[in-house]
Amino acid sequence: MDDKLLTIGQTAEKLGISIDTLRRWDESGKLVAIRKDGGTHRYYREKDLEVFSSDLFKFASEWANNGTEFPGTFYCQNSARFQGKLVKMEQELMRKPGFEKLYSLIVLISGEIGDNSFAHNLGNWPDTSGIFFGYDLQKQVIVLADRGLGILETLRRVRPNLPSHVAAVEVAFTEFISGRAPEKRGNGLKLVREVVSTQPIDLFFTTGDAEVRMQDSKKDFHVTRGEGGIRGCLAKIEF
Amino acid sequence: MKIKLEKFGTTLITRELGSEAFKAFQPTFRELPNNEDLEIDFSGVLTLSPSWADEFLTPLLVQLGERLQLLPSDNLSVLATLKILQEANKREFKYSGSIPAI
Repeated sequence: MDDKLLTIGQTAEKLGISIDTLRRWDESGKLVAIRKDGGTHRYYREKDLEVFSSDLFKFASEWANNGTEFPGTFYCQNSARFQGKLVKMEQELMRKPGFEKLYSLIVLISGEIGDNSFAHNLGNWPDTSGIFFGYDLQKQVIVLADRGLGILETLRRVRPNLPSHVAAVEVAFTEFISGRAPEKRGNGLKLVREVVSTQPIDLFFTTGDAEVRMQDSKKDFHVTRGEGGIRGCLAKIEF
Repeated sequence: MKIKLEKFGTTLITRELGSEAFKAFQPTFRELPNNEDLEIDFSGVLTLSPSWADEFLTPLLVQLGERLQLLPSDNLSVLATLKILQEANKREFKYSGSIPAI
């Protein structure tokens, strides 16, 4: 099973990327193909593909930071596709022992973070529309990312004087406000904060140079200034 | 009149779909007599998010006030969503039972 070889076509279909991308990744060393007995055809071990696809956070963060291509299986171009994938995750999670009740809160926070990306960037995506949405229920991790405008720019539409990404994230997670003025909206991230602070769920969230880490015993909410700087949003949920 | 939210789906997540559900509900809503309460039944709902609920329950609360009655639920996402909507709207839902802290 571990040694099962897939052709480049089968691999492209499995990862949701083009054959050309696989050729490029082979040449650059990102995902090296196998060649049988010195032949020219590219093959891939199924087990290697599983390992390659497992680093969700790396894919999401590289995409959010510099637009690096990632397996299309994690891409939701629109809200409907996101909803479909979320329902699939919900079905799997609610059957997982120990998550019979908690599943709904995990789906809720994933849904709010993902829906925010669509709601705040509709018609305004700077380059690539849609979001990264990947999960591994065995490792108990969910990763979401977008290459949208980020929280500071969307909130400045209603709070033009917001001085920094850190201040914008503070507002987004603690005040009832929305970037989509004049609508009085925006309670999703407040609930994300409340749920994470009281449940066995960890959250890492970043936009611009602002970071929120609510992890392990440190569930107090505070926003810090990180070293990096991404334009959109990137979130990792662990449970 | 009692409506089961399950009729609109079991994973009630996005603002977009909450708004669609509210529009779809209008013909039924117009038939609600002035002296009758509207009961909301959450049974069968797997996940309810504040985005969806803000598009559906908030306008009903504004229009009906006390005549909007929420039936008890033990689903954690339903309880968390009702709590945050009450805070956001600074107005309480009429709920058969108490909405515990999450």
